[in-house]
Amino acid sequence: MRIRLSTIWSWLALAVVVIWTLLPIYWFLKNSLLTPDEIARFPQPLYPLEPTPAAFFNIFGFEYEMADGLVRRGSGQANQIIRGLGNSLIVSAVVTVVTLFVVLPLAYVFARLDFPHKNKLLFAILLAVALPPVSTLIPFYAMYVRLGLSGTLVGLIIVTLTITIPFVTWMLIGYFRNLPQVERLARIDGFSRFETFVKIIVPLGRSGVAVAAVIAFLFSWNEYTYALLLVNGTTANTLPTAISGFLFQHPEPSHLAAAVVLTMVPPALVAFFLQRHIAEMNLVDPVR
Amino acid sequence: MSAAQRTAELSNLRFSLLLALPVLVFLLLVVAYPLGYALWMSLHEISFFGGYKATFVGAENFSDVIDDRKFKKSLWITVRFTLESVALAMVIGLLIALVLNRKMRFAGLVRTIVILPWCISLYGTGVIFSNLAKGQTGIGTAIAYALGFDEAVNVVNRQWVIEVLAVGNAWNMAPLVAFFLLANLKTIPSRLYDLAAIDRMSRLETFLNVTLPPLRFTLFVFTCITTVLSMKLFDFIFVLSGGGPGTASSTLTYRIYKESFKDLDLGYGAAMSFMLLALILGTTLLLYAFWGRREARSI
Amino acid sequence: MKLRATAMAVAGSLMLMSGAALAESGLEAQSGETVFFRGWQYKTDIVQDNVDRYNNEQGGNVDYATVTGDYPAIMEQNLMAGAELDVLYANPSQAGRYFDGGWIMPAEALPNIDAIKADMYPNILDAWSYKGQLLGLSYFVSTRGVMHVNLEKYYELGYSDADFPADWDALYDQLYEMRDKGLDQPFLPHWINEWYGISWGFDFEVMNRGGQVAHPDTHAPLLTTDADGAAYKTLEDWKRIWNDGLVPEEVLTYNESSYIDAYASGRYVFSPQQLYDLETFNREDRSQIAGHASLLPYQGQSWGLLDSAVYLMTSRERSDAQTDDVKRFASWYGYQDQTGNVFVGNRWMQESMLFSGYKSVMESDAAAERMKSALAREQDIAAVLGVYAATPYPKGIWSVVWAEEFNSWLKETLQEFLQDDGDIVETIEAINEEIVDLNKKYGL
Repeated sequence: MRIRLSTIWSWLALAVVVIWTLLPIYWFLKNSLLTPDEIARFPQPLYPLEPTPAAFFNIFGFEYEMADGLVRRGSGQANQIIRGLGNSLIVSAVVTVVTLFVVLPLAYVFARLDFPHKNKLLFAILLAVALPPVSTLIPFYAMYVRLGLSGTLVGLIIVTLTITIPFVTWMLIGYFRNLPQVERLARIDGFSRFETFVKIIVPLGRSGVAVAAVIAFLFSWNEYTYALLLVNGTTANTLPTAISGFLFQHPEPSHLAAAVVLTMVPPALVAFFLQRHIAEMNLVDPVR
Repeated sequence: MSAAQRTAELSNLRFSLLLALPVLVFLLLVVAYPLGYALWMSLHEISFFGGYKATFVGAENFSDVIDDRKFKKSLWITVRFTLESVALAMVIGLLIALVLNRKMRFAGLVRTIVILPWCISLYGTGVIFSNLAKGQTGIGTAIAYALGFDEAVNVVNRQWVIEVLAVGNAWNMAPLVAFFLLANLKTIPSRLYDLAAIDRMSRLETFLNVTLPPLRFTLFVFTCITTVLSMKLFDFIFVLSGGGPGTASSTLTYRIYKESFKDLDLGYGAAMSFMLLALILGTTLLLYAFWGRREARSI
Repeated sequence: MKLRATAMAVAGSLMLMSGAALAESGLEAQSGETVFFRGWQYKTDIVQDNVDRYNNEQGGNVDYATVTGDYPAIMEQNLMAGAELDVLYANPSQAGRYFDGGWIMPAEALPNIDAIKADMYPNILDAWSYKGQLLGLSYFVSTRGVMHVNLEKYYELGYSDADFPADWDALYDQLYEMRDKGLDQPFLPHWINEWYGISWGFDFEVMNRGGQVAHPDTHAPLLTTDADGAAYKTLEDWKRIWNDGLVPEEVLTYNESSYIDAYASGRYVFSPQQLYDLETFNREDRSQIAGHASLLPYQGQSWGLLDSAVYLMTSRERSDAQTDDVKRFASWYGYQDQTGNVFVGNRWMQESMLFSGYKSVMESDAAAERMKSALAREQDIAAVLGVYAATPYPKGIWSVVWAEEFNSWLKETLQEFLQDDGDIVETIEAINEEIVDLNKKYGL
């Protein structure tokens, strides 16, 4: 009896979690399948009455002929979307790789070793985390205009690294602290410090590393504030600023929704592959 | 102190420097420059129009900010928004982590679904929640009409807009919290649960004595992280409410944006940025002093 | 498909009329450099298609993209930074400031400027001229704040065309009648959260009621605090309908799309909207009130204000050859193409009933045909032209360097006025003071 009750509870909890997660997404993304006149209805239909994939064609610049012969024209922002997709992929991939290379040792050092001035340096990282983009926007902008970096991918990558590095470091510190104390054992086994880190700590902290990668990827994939000012309207435009074009002025809610679906695909794929690391890892007391 | 320990310490330092120094230098450059520039701006009155002009005004911008009625209002809005966001994100994140930590079928699928909100940009989250919460397009209205009422349900109003923002923000951040807590939960040796069962601990006792302790440091870190994220949040608010209705959701970030980018009063905006920075650092340090230090010691 | 065929036919007939005039045109791009063309998001598919046509037929190298967010502010930053930007959209309220900032090259630089000016309506030419120079070429002209009426709902409530309110006072009275008949929120006011939102709503209501915010030449403040003054009555009525809950609070957070979608859903009877959106609201595939979207005619009081936009050319550093290409493209896009047809202007009229500053577009048969098909009823054409002809232009607060600064301040002040139940006289005084301060700041 008790077991069955707890099973019901856990299924219920799972259902609540899934609904909490999916309901807002569903409510918006159904717009991508609605026709403009369905969107203009009040109240909005609970589900698409005549679902049409037109918007997904339109945002890439293709026209789509509806069943009634009406042609939905391709969006004039298709060039931006396609270019933005490419740019976003480049920026995110580079930022993720660089962040991982840089952050893993940094977090490890701060989490596991004691050295002088550690707290002051930690504070410097905290400061970097705390800086609000709205306040550093102007200085960066001024600096970039002078260095010729505004409107370039390199510029955007650098500025994104200033967000991801401190942040991911800060997150990983807590995680590395919780790993079992294996350094001494590794020493005894004849590993150097560097080997200990590369061959033992990193594999041991796989799941943390995976999550760190996801976070770095998502931060750069979704970065909007800097992109709004630094690359908006240039050839280095990324996807978030490109799709925000669907929001203003002329209503194209279905295009906007379709474009948001598009922005979710790569992160969802990344998340799907990386979350398995956590699942596969039954890290049970390696020191036993 | 033995000689062996001394060498270990030295090499600790060297090893740490080797790994950390290049990054720290990079950070210093890209962080110190904007910070210095902002400080300089905050001490000047800057105008771009009709040729760039910067007049030194000392601390005038800062004293003006302190006297500014709108600044005080924004400060309060930021505090309220942050408190609600953090509380929601932490509790929901913990619950999600506990749900995910159970053995279940389709675990991979569920995990992928659960992390979705964090995959959506804050820009996208803003659009999604504005669509969800407004009376015209919202789900509340649709359900109300489906149930036979004929009144729009709108929560993007003066009373509730901050709560709408906080829920949206928590929705976006909770998966992040959950996944880190989950990673930590996985490091809890299962034999501890076996021991707890032998000791006939209740569920609550098991949770408090076995599950929670290893999570506490992560909880602290993420309370800080969500606090910082919420306080510096801008794009989401910009998209969802534009600081409105009226100024009902003008957080400090929105106010800084408005002063700096719409009214182009860069010096004033920079001075306000420092107030926000002080608020963020102050809160984080307080959190550390009252909570983090204890957790750090206990490990 | 059919639309395009019509547009082509129109293009053909016009070509015959004004053909050879630009035989020496030479609109073909020469430098091989990219021309950067930026604007806000309005029917970007059409814009891209137009640009493609230029690039294909005239060997152009025009890069078109949109800029999102607070358009005037972001554009100003781009201009300041000398960003890659050659041709851009602007409202006249920004154009003057950009000119004073030294960032734009007035349309006077074009070789065929005399022909362009001759084709422009004098009042439009005046609105787009600043310090004696024509700043840009015609994108569109419209009346923003035309009082749209949803006939279906209006008739349902037992009214007929004879009951159409003649002015703002009568409109507000009718809103209360409607509430008594059971419609709680009959009105969607122009209080949206765009840079042209609530502040413009105030500007046009004051002007419609016969007031002036600032003097057209000296820019001195003109609002009065007496209870019969236009500003006082405007704020008094706003406060009344807000406090009585006759309008939805969420309108304060709307952007343009939400504003259009909300009215298109048919919930409201009246809403001050863009003149050309009559076309949108009468489209079956976009709107729930298609065939019922009409407007209040001119009955002695104007509605709305003259909303317009121009294509500006920047004066950023670039080679002379490239600057010549910029002029060629601007001229092709903003006036006549290589065949002497105002191609883009005519196309906007056909696509969305956007009015143009050019007589050759407005007075064509095709334009008259298009208006007829875009409107709910035959008599609405006369109503559209009547309201349009009477539309005022707020020169005092727009043709001035501080226009957008004032606008942004006014937006927040008015939002707070409603939400904090502000004092009417104090608010009006604050507006006047702000104008005095701005004049002082810029030495006017």
